[in-house]
Amino acid sequence: MRLPSLLRRTPFRLTLLFLALFAAAASAILGYVYVASAAEARARAESAVRAELDTLTGIYRERGSDALNRALVDRLITDSPFLYLLMDREGSVITGSLTASPIVDYAEGEQWITYPYTDTDAEGRVTRPQARGVQVRLASGELLFVARSMGDTEAYLARLTQALWAAMGIVLLLGLAGGLFVSRNLERSMGRLNRVVTAVQEGDLKARAPVRNSGDELDELGQGLNVMLDRLEASMASIRHAGDAIAHDLRSPLTRMRAKLEVALIDAEAGKIDGVDALQLALDETDSLLKTFNTVLAIARLQAAAGSGRTPDPTVFDAAELAADMAELYEPASEDKGLEFSAEIERGLMIEANRPFLAQALANIIDNAIKYTPTGGAVMLRARRRSSGEIEFSVTDTGPGVPEGDRERVIERFVRLDNSRTEPGSGLGLALVGAVMEAHGGRIQLDEGPGAYGGFGPGLRVALVLPPATGA
Amino acid sequence: MRILVVEDDADAATAMVRGLTEAGHEVTHAVDGAFGLLEAQKGGYDVYVVDRMMPRLDGVGMVETLRKDGDQTPVLFLSALGEVEDRVTGLKAGADDYLVKPYAFAELIARVEALSRRRETGSVATMLKVGDLEMNLIARTVHRAGQEIDLQPREFQLLEFLMRHAGQSVTRTMLLEKVWEYHFDPQTNVIDVHISRLRAKIDKGFDKAMLQTVRGAGYRLEA
Repeated sequence: MRLPSLLRRTPFRLTLLFLALFAAAASAILGYVYVASAAEARARAESAVRAELDTLTGIYRERGSDALNRALVDRLITDSPFLYLLMDREGSVITGSLTASPIVDYAEGEQWITYPYTDTDAEGRVTRPQARGVQVRLASGELLFVARSMGDTEAYLARLTQALWAAMGIVLLLGLAGGLFVSRNLERSMGRLNRVVTAVQEGDLKARAPVRNSGDELDELGQGLNVMLDRLEASMASIRHAGDAIAHDLRSPLTRMRAKLEVALIDAEAGKIDGVDALQLALDETDSLLKTFNTVLAIARLQAAAGSGRTPDPTVFDAAELAADMAELYEPASEDKGLEFSAEIERGLMIEANRPFLAQALANIIDNAIKYTPTGGAVMLRARRRSSGEIEFSVTDTGPGVPEGDRERVIERFVRLDNSRTEPGSGLGLALVGAVMEAHGGRIQLDEGPGAYGGFGPGLRVALVLPPATGA
Repeated sequence: MRILVVEDDADAATAMVRGLTEAGHEVTHAVDGAFGLLEAQKGGYDVYVVDRMMPRLDGVGMVETLRKDGDQTPVLFLSALGEVEDRVTGLKAGADDYLVKPYAFAELIARVEALSRRRETGSVATMLKVGDLEMNLIARTVHRAGQEIDLQPREFQLLEFLMRHAGQSVTRTMLLEKVWEYHFDPQTNVIDVHISRLRAKIDKGFDKAMLQTVRGAGYRLEA
């Protein structure tokens, strides 16, 4: 990885940012330690100088300037950490380790000074450490200067500074290395995710991110990506399936229509039917094809909605009213066929659904019941709330029913049982009901009816079970 | 009746103009929403039949503009989009009715005629009268030739709709939409059974049958 590209990487940039912050913080600490240590050293030197000055002025006060002079000489012989200078009234040196006072203004009272003095270290090299000193004029007019080197503190500070710089250097190096490492690691993980995204872009919907179950954010992202791709793949598959299904579903009615029109043309040419009748037949066939087409399209749309888990255009309404409307709409047709029609509808069944689709579903099962129940039979519509809270519509008839083995099958598209072939119908009615239920997170249940009834039976009970409206 | 057809599909437009002219109406055709708007602004139309999707200015845009200009002429929207949300958007834009393509001529003509009538009966009537049939909308009673006819609530609504559109063909789909307020395909013709029950009540015992079946279209109440 070249540096310019490295600089664009987020983890590496973050590392650099943190290193810069660390360096700034370290410099601030260093500065503080330095200033604080320097002040401390100065205060220590000053109090030592003060104590020494007090001792010396004590000797002077008690025993006079000669005694002071002797005391100074004694101290000069021994290796005292102090610097001394005793001068006469005019500033000429009497005794001392200095050739001249750094304070040339021989004022009255105490005068303090910090200054660099010249010294030689153990190896004989000339150094100029800082010293803190004070000068006083004694009662007899002599000038006494006492000072103490702050060289120890300076050396200490120098070592401290060095150590801090070194530490900072190490941290910077380690940080940089760590940053590179993290960056590369992240780069690899991101690279894996990026490769999946690129693969998907290029049309491979089967690509999935490796998941290590480490529980970190990247793993989570990978898992999220995989779930998203699963859903995408499923919905693509369902769209493809719907497309295939529509093509397949329309081929048979189109073939049928073509055949019928061809026969009509032959008949018209032979003079068996007239042109108007042939055209009327063509129109009727087109209408029935359009109806099939609309139903197939609606089923595909509902299945796509079910795949995405969203009901199309839902509204909240009272399913009891819908059931009552349907009962009212179908009752006359049912009675005209000589069927006994009844309805049992509980009140207040709030539901969130697509009203036209649900009406269509109910209409289809009521219509089926009326169509397949022989005269003299009965059809009953019920709407109730189950103890589970779900809303259930059921239509029970006393027709021939559906054998248990066929109950799953009749919900599929274009499946018509042998004994129903004589009735008009497209074979899409229950398939649409099934799709409506799927899109609403509900289900369709087919069961045996009440048993033998007026020589027929065992009847059929079709139940539509739907979740209630949330908050209802 | 003067009708403005705004439709960009030439074949569909030709057929529509032909069908409506045949039904005795005066039809003008505009090829898109912008021309439609110009033509509509000339005034004098009873109904606009507007295609939903057109180049330049689409049906929704055209109708919104007309409504903003204060033009209250009834609009029938034609659309290949049959979803509920499309219907709602169409009606919200200011359309009065919505017909999904493809449609039967009978359905189109019935709906266009129903729209034009709607404007005439804008005032609040308390009595409807068709021939010797009288409906009191306040007392909710129906009399034919002075003889009271007992109707179920839905039969009353059905008859009211037919009386408001007396002399016009109304289709089964229109009845399901306007009387029952449902948009779905009832498979068998449940509407026919309701009509025959109503017919039994209002025509039985009278010389003239008022509620007539129109072949290939639906029903018509004749005075």
